[in-house]
Amino acid sequence: MATHSTTAGSATLERIERDYEAVAAQLPDAALARPLREQAARELRRLGWPKVTDEQWRYANLRAFDTVPGFRPSLPASARTSAAAAPPDLPPALPGFTRMLYIDGLRQGGALGSEPGGLEHWPPEQRLGLLGDMFASDTATLKIRGDARIELLFFNSEAATASYPRLQLQLEPSSELQLVERHLGAAPQAALVCPTAMIRLAAQSRLTHYRLQQCGPQTVFTDTLSAHLAEGAHYRVRQIALGAASARTSAHIRLQGRGAATSWQSIAVGRHQQVQDTALKVEHLAPDTQTEEVFRGIAEERARIAFNGHIHIAASAPGSDSRQSLRGLIEGDGAEIDLRPRLQIDTDAVRAQHGATTGALDDNLMFYLLARGIDRATARALLKWAFLGDVLRAIELPDVRRAAEHGAAGQLPDAAVIGALT
Amino acid sequence: MSAANEGRAPLLAINGLRVKVAGQEVLKGVSLTVRAGEVHAIMGPNGSGKSTLAHVLAGRPGYDIVGGGVEFEGRDLLSLAPEQRARAGLFLGFQYPVEIAGVNNAYLLKAAINAARRERGQSELDAFEFLSLVRAKIKLMQIDESFLGRGVNEGFSGGEKKRNEILQMLVLEPKLALLDETDSGLDIDALKVVADGINSLRSSERAIVLVTHYQRMLEHVVPDQVHVLARGRIVRSGDRTLALELERRGYDWISAPAAA
Repeated sequence: MATHSTTAGSATLERIERDYEAVAAQLPDAALARPLREQAARELRRLGWPKVTDEQWRYANLRAFDTVPGFRPSLPASARTSAAAAPPDLPPALPGFTRMLYIDGLRQGGALGSEPGGLEHWPPEQRLGLLGDMFASDTATLKIRGDARIELLFFNSEAATASYPRLQLQLEPSSELQLVERHLGAAPQAALVCPTAMIRLAAQSRLTHYRLQQCGPQTVFTDTLSAHLAEGAHYRVRQIALGAASARTSAHIRLQGRGAATSWQSIAVGRHQQVQDTALKVEHLAPDTQTEEVFRGIAEERARIAFNGHIHIAASAPGSDSRQSLRGLIEGDGAEIDLRPRLQIDTDAVRAQHGATTGALDDNLMFYLLARGIDRATARALLKWAFLGDVLRAIELPDVRRAAEHGAAGQLPDAAVIGALT
Repeated sequence: MSAANEGRAPLLAINGLRVKVAGQEVLKGVSLTVRAGEVHAIMGPNGSGKSTLAHVLAGRPGYDIVGGGVEFEGRDLLSLAPEQRARAGLFLGFQYPVEIAGVNNAYLLKAAINAARRERGQSELDAFEFLSLVRAKIKLMQIDESFLGRGVNEGFSGGEKKRNEILQMLVLEPKLALLDETDSGLDIDALKVVADGINSLRSSERAIVLVTHYQRMLEHVVPDQVHVLARGRIVRSGDRTLALELERRGYDWISAPAAA
């Protein structure tokens, strides 16, 4: 393995290290102990800043980091006295859910995370998760026994230049959690939002994880997630990526126990010059494990959307089943979609299906609607909506589905037409 | 053609229509006149150009019009976009209706009927008016009302799709309905329901053109005229007895080059 050079992008890394040195002494141990932060900083230095020439970072918009004015997070003392931390207009609370509100990465209305967080071992392709370890100003540490419903609402105010929402979640055996994770932003100026999520699902536990990313238009969003599933655990993700100037999700799901299953369904809608990039790796490490992966992306105007879905079925995982369906719709003349399905199978007796298609709207569907007298603009809007429907309709919670639909409709230029459908 | 109808201006006048698909001439000079109040059947062997004719009239892209013309109520039909043709009162019942998951039937019907109403200078239907209109037609087509909330043709059987086509036709009340192989894939009961739906639209103000391979639909929807399309031309026209003769003798005797 070659050593990672820091020449490319070294200026970014230098800025990060400078900001870290300046703020390290003030970062709260309750979020993460200083020695662990130092360890993360050393690891990032060792790995170096990622390069677009690396396969894993090919579609990420690394240059967006140049727009971030600084990497220091809001700190507990300053945020509590800051006017910007006053609660803004937030979406109504979800019925039956406990809301935990974070503004600029800091929990509002009471301390949480009584247990300081630990470190995840981020592989090189997830190295930006190390930023969360270095700079986190708060950690949501959740241990779930029995059934629970929690909404994590992360709001970035105009005061923040960088925030590092950090979630450490553990489900006890046979417990069940419905988790809504929502990132909202008011900041019109450039800012970094860098969430990390470390998830452990014990045997037979079930997590449904709704993720809505609606950050401000200049935000650089870099999201790193790791999940470990024990025997019979079930992890469902419904991810809706809409906001930010540049957004990357890097997720790594390990199906470690027999019969563990994951279902990842996501949509990304980009317009203007947005970049929405997802790199998802699922590892089947035990027998009879299952993956379902669905992605629908629409690139309007000059947006760029990428989905890199890597499924690895290890020799230790006979009887596994994986299905992957990736589809992209190019709607803008300067738009780009890159779908990369990758299936790596090291054992026999597995079932695997995968397909990836990118193109324009289906002419046959279009003609059908026109032949009913529906005008072209409405027909286009209807078909785009239908395209996203696979994922949107799979959102079981009506309030979350409506929020996702409204968000997605607002992101399409045909919002007025689609509004009548939602 | 009824004698009373002969003096009326044609609803549809096709004159020497020639159409190429991928460089190949598929329609080689089709002429046909349809007046309000009439039902015409266009029959012919597979590959004779029947579906091409229906699609060209509805405005499907991908066809190269190389000769002739079509007038609809005196307007140049071929210069209109497909959506304009539909709003002018032309309806195509598809042989293979598409499935559009994520757009429900109610929305499609409402968008379509309001587009037609705007064209006619009428106000749009509100939710109550729309539902009462659609409910009556749904009942006639023996479709369960829950269908309104389902995606367009999503998971429908072949027969359900055809019934849905006729339902759309009944809601839109077109001046001219072109029904492309609507009878294919229907069992006897469904055929009867579909035929009843079509017959309910018959009036002195409208016309229906049935494109079909078999004459069994014509036992239920009795045509005024039957035309045989073969090798891109109408090679024979007659009354409904022509359809019975085709049923008995097949198409070979009429579509072979010598018969042209």
